[in-house]
Amino acid sequence: MDYETVIGIELHCELKTKTKMFSSSPVSFGARANSCTNEIDLGHPGTLPCVNKKAVELALRACTATHCTIDPLVRFDRKNYYYSDLPKGFQITQQFHPIGKNGYVTIEVDGEEKQIRLNRIHMEEDTAKQFHNYDGTYLDFNRAGIPLIEVVSEADMRNGKEAAAYVEKVRTILYYLGVSDGKMEEGSMRCDVNVSIRPVGSTTFGTKTEIKNLNSISNVQKAIEVEVERQKEVIEQGKEVIQATYRFDEATRKTVMMRKKEGAVDYKFFPEPNIFPIQLDAEWIKKIQKEMPELPQQRRVRYEKEYGLTEYDISVLVANKEVSDFYDAVMKHTKQAKMAANWVITELLSILNKANQSIEDAKIQPQHLACLMDLIASNEISGKQAKVVFAEMMDGKDPKQVIEEKGMKQMSDSSALLKMIQEVLDEQPQSIEDYKNGKDRAIGFLVGQVMKKSKGQANPKMTNELLLQEIQKR
Amino acid sequence: MERLEKNDIQQLAKQLMFELTEEEAQAIQTEFDVLQKQLQLLEEIDTEGVEEMVYPFETPTSFLREDEVENVLSVEDALKNAKRVKTDYIVLPKVVK
Amino acid sequence: MDMHMMKASRIATSEHARIAVEKAHQVQPKLNAMVTFCDIEEQLEHLKEIPTDAKFYGVPIVLKDNVSTKGIRTTASSRILDDYVPVYDAEIVTRLRNAGAIIIGKSSMDELGMGGTNLSAATGPVYNPYDLSRISGGSSGGSAVLVASGVVPFAIGTDTGDSVRKPASYNGIIGVKPTYGRISRYGIIPYASSLDHVGYFTRSVRDAALALEVLAGRDDRDMTSSYHEVEAFESLTTGSIQGMKIAVLKNVSEMLIDGELKQQTDDLLDKLRNQGAIVEEVSMKEMLLKAALPVYFIISNCEATANHSNLDGIRFGVQHGDQSYEDIMIQSRSQGFSSLIHKRFVIGSYGLSEENQERLLRKAQKVRRLIVEELQRILSEYDAIVAPASLSGAPKIDDSADQLSLEYLIAENYMGIANFSGYPSMTVPYASVDHLPVGLNITCRAFDEVTMFNLALAIEDITGLRDSIQEVL
Repeated sequence: MDYETVIGIELHCELKTKTKMFSSSPVSFGARANSCTNEIDLGHPGTLPCVNKKAVELALRACTATHCTIDPLVRFDRKNYYYSDLPKGFQITQQFHPIGKNGYVTIEVDGEEKQIRLNRIHMEEDTAKQFHNYDGTYLDFNRAGIPLIEVVSEADMRNGKEAAAYVEKVRTILYYLGVSDGKMEEGSMRCDVNVSIRPVGSTTFGTKTEIKNLNSISNVQKAIEVEVERQKEVIEQGKEVIQATYRFDEATRKTVMMRKKEGAVDYKFFPEPNIFPIQLDAEWIKKIQKEMPELPQQRRVRYEKEYGLTEYDISVLVANKEVSDFYDAVMKHTKQAKMAANWVITELLSILNKANQSIEDAKIQPQHLACLMDLIASNEISGKQAKVVFAEMMDGKDPKQVIEEKGMKQMSDSSALLKMIQEVLDEQPQSIEDYKNGKDRAIGFLVGQVMKKSKGQANPKMTNELLLQEIQKR
Repeated sequence: MERLEKNDIQQLAKQLMFELTEEEAQAIQTEFDVLQKQLQLLEEIDTEGVEEMVYPFETPTSFLREDEVENVLSVEDALKNAKRVKTDYIVLPKVVK
Repeated sequence: MDMHMMKASRIATSEHARIAVEKAHQVQPKLNAMVTFCDIEEQLEHLKEIPTDAKFYGVPIVLKDNVSTKGIRTTASSRILDDYVPVYDAEIVTRLRNAGAIIIGKSSMDELGMGGTNLSAATGPVYNPYDLSRISGGSSGGSAVLVASGVVPFAIGTDTGDSVRKPASYNGIIGVKPTYGRISRYGIIPYASSLDHVGYFTRSVRDAALALEVLAGRDDRDMTSSYHEVEAFESLTTGSIQGMKIAVLKNVSEMLIDGELKQQTDDLLDKLRNQGAIVEEVSMKEMLLKAALPVYFIISNCEATANHSNLDGIRFGVQHGDQSYEDIMIQSRSQGFSSLIHKRFVIGSYGLSEENQERLLRKAQKVRRLIVEELQRILSEYDAIVAPASLSGAPKIDDSADQLSLEYLIAENYMGIANFSGYPSMTVPYASVDHLPVGLNITCRAFDEVTMFNLALAIEDITGLRDSIQEVL
């Protein structure tokens, strides 16, 4: 039998704020354990939540970019359950009135576009981090209370590739918007996938399983493909798929059952009494939407329209926001769009890749690269010289300074060059004769002589032109 | 009228992370019978079309907290009231069975 | 001595606090009102930085033990918090200290505020100074008796159903529950967040008015805190009730079977009329008043069971169990709470569960609205609603138990409607039955504490029951 796969995805994304969702303690990664908390994060008696404005702003950006309908009356609810990483014994979330509803993102798989609908985006708070050690479970409350948005898709994806493309798309959007780091490896974005299969043509859903804690986009795809195969086998054997939570084991490339889901858990949701509904100012929402950072798609269009870059160049640049940001910074200082794109992609990225460096770590200054582009364009240095200069620029040096130090400047001053050409022509009457007798090679010889005289600093193109012009006069 | 069995009561308590003595379960069962009568009284009141009143005042607020760090505890204070602490962490026992 | 007299007295400022501590120790064996005594010299230390004209300068006070005090044990009279020492101060602690108040101790309460008798405190019952075989009332019983017995002129309580106003009535003192949002709840160990109010006890109306100037005001840490202007309550409280329209809640007053109390009530109302007030009997829909108790019971238990899910023995509080996190939670919560609390949590959780929420919590919240609308209806025509805070003096300890009553005792449970609505409400002493005090409850419109204080002062002027102290030594 042929089966169709049905996939829905929940993404938990940590928001890039300075403080927690409901408290003013700092959000800081890699800090000393339990050094970024206060009484609210620890769930001490008598504490009250206080909503972070920036978190709401970032959630609004996410909603806007994913075409969600925004609910300007922000409300929170309690989700009640007991677990060692949950300080209050409930999580404050937005069960009944999510800030965003009914959105979509567009993905592209194998050259075809597809819309994936979003059910909702809501704000909530993170739990404490647990480390399971041989002698016990260690609790770090630095993560407790970090603002999250949960992005919930509809079950619109039909294979692992689409799922991976969807996760990548949402990750890129949130990253470009400055909403979230989206680092799956570090847990700042966490992905839970719901997978089921059904006979092609069926309109009811099969029993779904949930795969939790996928730590990379490639594993999203792999895990789904493996899980779909497993479900097919179960069904072909005449058995039934059991509703359960799985994890993906990278080593064995298998999905491993963690626990069965026996009936739905009752979280006893009810409105959070300590937070009155918050009416967002319509003007504020408009302002946020107007000042939204540029999305990848907008950037693509701009690169094509304004700079006329090739499809390939655009893809490479936009794939990495930092690289693309660097390119934009370069373009603030030069008009050499194509040349700059070329240099960023071929020269800069290859050096960084070899050194296993990211562009944030690089010392090269965008205005320096812009300057180099202008120098090449105006023929002040040759392409060959530019590469030497560029190598030094990677240490943060100013190209003009490098050229100065190395005495590299091309002789483009026509009067000085002209003087040198006259001298060479005077010295080489035989070559003039040869040229006039149709031996074009003679020009090459003469150019060589000028280069020699100028110690290699003469601009070859200019020398060529001037020589031809002068030789006609003799 | 619906009656809550002791088993259900123990189940409710389990969800709330405590155990009930036999006497406690018994007392709760009795209390539930009273509660049911009270509920009957509520059911006699027509609330068709009435919204739940969750807060004493229902004018929405517009206040949101600025994203500035203000209140941080020292690690010592954060751990001060915890019973099991190792280095900078609160620790939970793990008993290998 | 009330606060005003204390400040005016010639005794050295710091002596008031030392005298209060001494007296608190002396009455402790009889009243059992204090849970924790503060180090008084340490508390007096901060007074050096306070200007001498501060509103509470040098006044010894007591806090109910659900008020978080940094470095001072705070138990909410529950075993599970027996060794809990907060790492932060409640907002009101800061405000009171800045006004020069000296905290001498933390007072007993019903466990987690969930009771009306003060019999459920981890440290045992609190006794009524008028008759030690009687209850103090609760849940703010310790604070009430410490003010009534003259230990301190002011004490903080909290009021979720009537937990300040009922004990005030039983102990012959003033008990104030201002409008919801007037006083920040930041740092108050909750009972039911949508009903919880910070309140307080005094022995004179002018003290009560002054205290609100110190306690009220917006706090950004409490999102339900109000931006409403903090008026100059003391100077606005003149006792003038000329033209004031007062509704006597007939549903309660008609139940006055006790001839003595009925006589005193009628006398008082007549005297209010004589002073120019318009006093009329008004009824609320009986059905809605009857519903007040179940509505309160359901909403408060539903919110409470969630509010106290943080009490699990892991990050603070008394820990039992050593096998796993579940074992710790289960043992700590089984042993840390009394049976009464277990009962209320189970009922609350039942009301919150998905299958029952519509029938219990949401139904109760809808009826809450109807009750508040009924209250609004009366207050759209009258400036204040009054009724006796109880039909008798404090009950005997043996007679009272915090059980959900089979009878719908309107007269004993109606004061919760001011918690449903958030309206300001207070109790002022006015009568005496068998040598036991009884208070009159006054409820006014939202943020209209001035009218409430004016009526209270007029009553105080009539009865002369100002600064009455029941010595127990």
